[in-house]
Amino acid sequence: MSKTIKQRTVALVSGALALAVLTACGGAPPATQAPAPAEATPAPAEATTAPQPAEPAAGGETTFVTWYQYDETNTDEKSDERVGNAYLRKTIPMFNEEFKGKYKWVNQPQAWDKMVLNLVAAVQGGGEVPDLMQVGADSVVTTLYQNGAMEDLTDWIKAQPWFSDLDAGAISACTGLDGKIYCVPVAETPQLVFYWSDHFPNGYPKTPEEFMTQAEALKQKNVYAITFFGSTDFDGAATTRFFFTALASFGGGYDDGKGNMLLNTPENVKAVEFIREIVAKGYAPEIVFAGKFQEEEPMKTAEAASFPTGIFGYRYVNPLRAPSGKEYNTKTEKDMLDAIEAGDVKISSFLAPEGKKPSCGLGVTGFIIPKGAKNPDGAKAYINWIMDQRNNADWVIGPGGGVPSLNTTRSAPVFQTAFYKQAIEATAGLCRPWQGTLTNPPEAQKIIATVIYKLIKEDPTADIATELQKAQDEYNRQYAPGS
Amino acid sequence: MNATLAASSHHVHRAQRRLAPWFFNGAMLIICFLVLIPVLGTVITSLKDQTEVQRNPPVLFPCDTPDGQFSLSACRWSVEGYTRILEPRPSAGTLFGFEYVGRMISVYLPNTLIYAVSGSVLVTMLAGMSGYVFSRYRFRGRRALMLAILAITGIPLLTNLIALYRMGVGLRQTFPGYEERLFVIVVYVGFFLPFSIWVVKSFFDTIPRELEEASFIDGCTPVSSLIRIVAPLAAPGLTSAFLLSFVGIWNEFIAGYLLVGKATLRTAMFGLYDFIGQFVIGYQVLAAGCIMVALPVVLMFLFFRKIFFRAMVEGALKG
Amino acid sequence: MAQSAEAASISRFSRTSHRHIKQGFFSRTLPFWLLLPTLLVLIAIQFIPGVFSFFLSTQSFERGQQTFVGLRNFERVFTSSAFGESLWHTLFFLIGYVTLTLIAGFVIAQILNRKLRLSAFYITVIFIPWVLSDVVVGLIFRLFVVPDYGLFSALFANPNIFPPKGISILTTPPSTPILPDVPFPPAPALIYLIFASAWKALPFITLLILAALQTVPREVIESAAIDGADGWRTVRFITFPLILPTLVVALFNLTLSGVNGVGMVFSLTGGGPGTATEVLSYLLYTIGFGRLDFGRAAALSVFMAIINLTLILLALRISRSEREA
Repeated sequence: MSKTIKQRTVALVSGALALAVLTACGGAPPATQAPAPAEATPAPAEATTAPQPAEPAAGGETTFVTWYQYDETNTDEKSDERVGNAYLRKTIPMFNEEFKGKYKWVNQPQAWDKMVLNLVAAVQGGGEVPDLMQVGADSVVTTLYQNGAMEDLTDWIKAQPWFSDLDAGAISACTGLDGKIYCVPVAETPQLVFYWSDHFPNGYPKTPEEFMTQAEALKQKNVYAITFFGSTDFDGAATTRFFFTALASFGGGYDDGKGNMLLNTPENVKAVEFIREIVAKGYAPEIVFAGKFQEEEPMKTAEAASFPTGIFGYRYVNPLRAPSGKEYNTKTEKDMLDAIEAGDVKISSFLAPEGKKPSCGLGVTGFIIPKGAKNPDGAKAYINWIMDQRNNADWVIGPGGGVPSLNTTRSAPVFQTAFYKQAIEATAGLCRPWQGTLTNPPEAQKIIATVIYKLIKEDPTADIATELQKAQDEYNRQYAPGS
Repeated sequence: MNATLAASSHHVHRAQRRLAPWFFNGAMLIICFLVLIPVLGTVITSLKDQTEVQRNPPVLFPCDTPDGQFSLSACRWSVEGYTRILEPRPSAGTLFGFEYVGRMISVYLPNTLIYAVSGSVLVTMLAGMSGYVFSRYRFRGRRALMLAILAITGIPLLTNLIALYRMGVGLRQTFPGYEERLFVIVVYVGFFLPFSIWVVKSFFDTIPRELEEASFIDGCTPVSSLIRIVAPLAAPGLTSAFLLSFVGIWNEFIAGYLLVGKATLRTAMFGLYDFIGQFVIGYQVLAAGCIMVALPVVLMFLFFRKIFFRAMVEGALKG
Repeated sequence: MAQSAEAASISRFSRTSHRHIKQGFFSRTLPFWLLLPTLLVLIAIQFIPGVFSFFLSTQSFERGQQTFVGLRNFERVFTSSAFGESLWHTLFFLIGYVTLTLIAGFVIAQILNRKLRLSAFYITVIFIPWVLSDVVVGLIFRLFVVPDYGLFSALFANPNIFPPKGISILTTPPSTPILPDVPFPPAPALIYLIFASAWKALPFITLLILAALQTVPREVIESAAIDGADGWRTVRFITFPLILPTLVVALFNLTLSGVNGVGMVFSLTGGGPGTATEVLSYLLYTIGFGRLDFGRAAALSVFMAIINLTLILLALRISRSEREA
């Protein structure tokens, strides 16, 4: 493109923005002249306590701003995010006390599904960015990488004392396509299977054949063998969950290792055939395809025997009613942990065909430092504080929602419960990030979820290889490297 | 022959005429019931408890005895849905001895009220001013300007949203004192203004000019005549503009969802959507939330329904 | 741009009815001052974002690099299979939604126009859905059909009512298309979405038609009845032509709200099952805010703005030519 066009467009936009600003202010004054009703705009009490970004506080103390999906001001006991909220409430004063006179930690809560959007828009549009952002979803790092929104942390992280203690899988999930490390993994969130042990008394099936036999037996008892997130909702989130677990466990995957999508492989075809059979034979409830996160309902009531999902699912799947009729009814994450401790629910890796190893999607929760962060030193001090053994376990149990990435932390007493032991054992080097080398995960996610959904539910007679090839071509035409 | 035929058909007509009101009233009652089914269903769902809404297969009323008989005494109505939303906490200094800490009631609904009130006050004022000009003055380009405003009426929020979102991000950076709420309110004003201008103008058109002219003779300036004579007469028009924008802003979802970042500034529609967007929450809670969010505007409508009816017809047909 | 030019010319306004009154500068320019805030707000919120959308639609934001890509975003939007499919969905949705609402609204308005004693009550009851927001309506209708648990899910799953196997609104995929690449017949979810949308739009349309019917003189209808015209012929040849302008207004109103409504898709189906209810407005939302592809989303919004403007100008054209006729 020519330079003049760019200059002109930039000028145009800045002019437009300036005008918008002027006019936005021009439109505002009437508010003050308006009669009584307009005066009814005092900030609600909560708003005034909302943190104000980065202004150096008194006495050389600098503000350090984080974006968490958790909100320390939310004291709602029934909130889905109460674990993270409570964590922040507890640790913000701790950090501020310890770094008094140096850094002051201010958190700006973000909606969980808009955090990445807001960051990308802020980086692209020159908006305000935090010094540190909590990342949760598995492909977020690639998406942010693709949008150039993160600082490269490679050199810094390798120089830290705790680096050698990190699990290799966790580091791989934080590595961009250029081989550089962009995030700090604090916890790993693999996709594992939660199952009711009464429904699978001999443990979770090891092979597809074994699964089918047991599923048929369960069906006779009016129990669905499995429930999973199978709809195309949330922009294809299914791609990152059970679909990947199944394909990867059959030896397949989504990419060719060079940035191209690779769907049409014999392994993937077999895996899709397997899911298709589950659906066709009625081993999975219809709610699997209803959208939103409603597939977990049958798991709660033990109407479904197993539920492959992210390890963090333990927080959301409650209250529980075991096949024996036993109730776990605190309506908090305690329900699932108690059920696992009591042996009613167990955690396992998925099954795999003869000669293959079960696999699963691996995400991490941790931190990134956005491009343009004003106080990266504060962010790094904070990361070191979190990676310290005193605070690490707290974070993993709080915002982390998974198993520790630091091997030392894994041996801490709090992780010696049935839940963590089973989860760590089931992960054991088997899992990997679903997006592999794909450069546009959001787009890939949508395309893959749509085609697999189509093959297993919408059109169960369509030729699997043909459809997979079509989807793969559509993606590669636009997003393959060099296209 | 012809006469008898005519007579008998006359009879038929008379019978029809007597039966017709019954028939049509019956038809209307059925239609009203059908229309209300979704509302009634929601009310019923909101009054169940967690185990009832999780029943498979579902039952309409939670009133069956263990052996499957329907019995009023067996009804297990519950206000769990509402308490989950309101979260009453005992508190000494308050009116009912409770403080309601649920986010919907303590944060989201008040926010929506702020946006709706200030947005629609602004819309009403601006629409009053420009509706008056369009109704009373003739100037070059008036027609074109009116057409332009009419054309904007059809532009949906959605198509401008990408740009507005990016502009909001830019504004936040450029202005240290940037107020998210102000931006959202101005956006709402921009979107609900065009239609209101038409509503208000059509009301002004019905006010005879002679009244104003008389006031001029009495020595009023145009400004004071506008305030003292015209504005009171136009009150019904201005009220309709206010009510229509209020309901519009109250119910708006997508702009509030995207343009508001801070958790403390979010709207009730966002809160509602968040219930399903994020992990599972009981259906009874959702239903109760829907009812609580909708109730204020439904009551408002029931109270001012005549003004609503008139304004909507005028706005749509004159435009 | 036209707007600001007009604004400038306002200072040369003339006040037709009382030119004889002596006016100071402020009074003379009063209309300009009265219009100014409105114009500023509309320029800031409607005009500038329009221009900005157009600018964004020519940009690409890869790896943090903003580059000018000409019409490539448009090309990528128009050639994607999702675009063609959602265009069809939008079309089917519109046809169903507009027809259903107009017919039901017309029938109910006809009954209400009989001046039943309880008419005021009926119209008030019928009007309640109009006050509800898209999100609430979508949620309510969703709650009813959640597989297994929804109040009406058992009704739809009943094979005697919906042969051969019963359906589940949120999950039953569309049947095999009759023509290749045209997603027809649509999925139950799309039909359900049509019903939910029509439920919400019905009150307004009924009210509009009722207002028009009330302007039809009773004598005209009665004299037609005396001349031996039966009910249908009266409607067809007398009522219908008289209220046609209102029907046109209603038609455009429905089309515009139908093309642009996204809140209900959002809360009711989320575009699913599969892509069966992915309409243009929802596609725009997901490309922009789900997949963070602002350039492509801006291209789609420019396209949708053009559709909207065309529809409005067409409506204005028609209503003006009718007024002149």
